This record gives sequence, C-alpha cells and structure tokens, in this order.
Amino acid sequence: MRSAGLEPGEDMHLKDEEFVDLADGAAPSEADRRRQEGHLASCAECRQKLAGLRSTLREVAAVDVPEPSPLFWDHFSRRVHDAVGAEARTPVGRAWLPWMFPAAALAALLVFVLLPGAWRSPARTAPSIAVAPPAPPVARETLGDLTDPSLALVGDLSDGAGWEAAHEAGLSPRGSAEHAVTHLNDRELRELQRLLQVELAHASD
Amino acid sequence: MASSIEWPLSTSWRWTERAQVSVATPPAERMTDADAAALAQLSEAALVDACLAGRAGAFDLIVERHRRPIYQLCYRFVGNHEDASDLSQDVFLRAFRGLRSFRGGSSLGTWLYRIGVNVCLNRVGASTTLDRATASVDDHPLTDDRSDSPSDLILRKERAGFVRAAIAQLPRKQRATLILRTYHEMTHQEIADVLGTSVGAVKANFFHALGNLKKLLGDM
Repeated sequence: MRSAGLEPGEDMHLKDEEFVDLADGAAPSEADRRRQEGHLASCAECRQKLAGLRSTLREVAAVDVPEPSPLFWDHFSRRVHDAVGAEARTPVGRAWLPWMFPAAALAALLVFVLLPGAWRSPARTAPSIAVAPPAPPVARETLGDLTDPSLALVGDLSDGAGWEAAHEAGLSPRGSAEHAVTHLNDRELRELQRLLQVELAHASD
Repeated sequence: MASSIEWPLSTSWRWTERAQVSVATPPAERMTDADAAALAQLSEAALVDACLAGRAGAFDLIVERHRRPIYQLCYRFVGNHEDASDLSQDVFLRAFRGLRSFRGGSSLGTWLYRIGVNVCLNRVGASTTLDRATASVDDHPLTDDRSDSPSDLILRKERAGFVRAAIAQLPRKQRATLILRTYHEMTHQEIADVLGTSVGAVKANFFHALGNLKKLLGDM
C-alpha cells in the first residue's frame, strides 16, 4: 500500500546498493534520484541509516597510512631487486625441482593406467600374501562337467590356483578398483588425463 | 640427497634456462642515465615488454612506480610497517614471477592490486592483526603532526588505532572491499575485477563493512 502523495516506489525502504551509492556520492539516474529523495524526506529510519553510513565512512577515510622513513623506499626497492635477482639466478637443476614431483607422478600414473601389467610387481603382492588368510583353491567342481576340451584344459591349468595366483595373472574381479583402472575406455582415459593436467596445473601454481 | 642429483639436461634446455635467467635478472647497476631516462618515457605496457625482453632496470622502474600504493594497501590490511613491508616485497616478487601472464586487459596497477589483495588475504587471518594494528599507533614518529596540539594528536592516534583494529576484525572480503574503495578510490567495477566478483557483491560487501564498522567503533 502506498501512502498518499508519494511517487511509485517512494514508500519502499532504500536498498543496500542505494545506500552505498548515496554514501559514496554516486550519481543515480534522475528518476532514481527523485524517488530516493522523496523516500528519504519521509523515512526517518533510512535517513538515520544513511547518516550513520556517511559518518562511519568519513571516520574510516580520515585514517592515514603513516609515511615511512624517506630512506625506506630506496631500501625497499633494493630488497625487491635483490630478491628478484636471487630468484632469477636459481640454478638450472633447482629450477626443475618444482616440476619434478608432478612430472614423476604423472609418468607413474600413465604407466599404471596404460600398461596393465606394470603395477603387478612381486613387491606389491608380497604383503597381501603374508596378510591375507589362505585362499581356498579354485575347486574343479565349480567348473561343472568338463565335456568341452577347451574347458578341460582351463580346468587343468587352474586346478589348485588360489586368488593370489588369479590376481597375479591379471584376473581382477569385475567391480574392483584394479579392474576399473585397467579397463578404461578412450573417453575415460581422456578424462583421467584432463584431471591429471588440472591437478598438475594446480601443483605448479 | 636430492641436491646430489644431476639432471642430464640437453644442451638446448640448458640454453633455455640460461636465456630465461638473463631475461629475468634486473641488473640495475649496469644501467646508464640515458637508459633510465628512456625507460621512464615508456608506457606501462611497453615497460612490461621491456622487462620481459630483459631490459636492465625495467622491473626496478615498475617497483618504483607502484611501491607506495602497494605498501599502503598492505599496511591497510596488516596495520604495521614490518608486515606491510614484507607483504609488499612478496607482491612484487609474485608479480615478477607472473609477469608473462600479464595480458594488459587491466592496468598494471590493477593487476598488482589483485596480486596484493590475494597476498594479503592469504597471509592475514580474519583477526590475527588486531593486536599489532592496535599496538602500532605510535609506530611512526616521522608522520608530520606538528599542526596538532599534543592532546589532539594523542586522541587522533588513539582513534586511528581503534579504526584500524576495527577494520582488522572485518571479514576478509568486506575488509578488502572497504580498503580498495575508501583508500585507493577504485571503482566498484575495478574492485569486482580485483576480487573476482560482481559489482552487486562489491556493493553488498561495502554496505555490510560500513555497518559492521559502525557497530565496532560504537563499542570502542
């Protein structure tokens, strides 16, 4: 409901942005200026708020940065000059150091992803052999009736083989992390490369 | 251990690294007066190009032109000379490292402000500077206060300490907005560019900063 005698919008309190512009001395459009002035003339709350903001702004603006000693600026420039010079004279080998870890990580990960057999080293599997409970051998019975000669051959070869042996042979079960990593399609590989590059870019910042 | 590693770089890589070093080193000592005068005539963009081309003294001139506003910006954040000096040096060091990324889309000053604000916001916690800001009221006897009476001077310094302490308590973006707008007279759009936000957000931050300061100063 608008009060009698007020222009459209004059009965609404001023917005935060309008307070900022008024306290800052920014020139609004003619229509806005008339509306704001009309509202301020009739709204003590907004008048008081604006006066408070202006007063605070004046007090804040009056606080100077103390001027340092005249000797400071030359000293400062010299310090920056020396620091920049020291940075620029970083030895060749050390200049590579920030890149070494991300580059090594990327190389290791690419080898891991692109060469499915590379991560299956004896050193990696040995601890799990020691920790894991003895795995039951793959029972010949689970293959059922081996009437197919090829199935019979597989049965003979796998007879007595445990989960660890299957793991070493690259037969990671579907749904496992290893299976997922070694079965990425082209699109997933590209996405992984993109993510790695993003991470490396962050690391090099 | 790591320092003993010798990387077998190819000749071309070594050459590139050395070339970068020679570009980056600012050998002001070797600069003649004529060189200095010629550099002083350059525009900001040309000065950046000269710096990237390895021209002696170019970066020193950038520092000389912008050191005062950058120092003042840092001082506004931390409220004491020592930290402001260290932060300012850090700003210029980062600027030197990233000079190649300066595209000239904004002025060099605005770009340096952006680095300065990031350095200050990263280094300074929301309330870590309160004690030093308040304690630094008498840090600078070199300020010319001869026109004030002793009692006025004490009151003014005390009040200035309160204001600095109050600013130091503001949330970081409010503090940055207030400092850039009030003391460095940047437009809302320039502040939005520096802080990576919108003009509306800048105005909202400024409004809330003033409101919070009003409350804080009223309590002091």
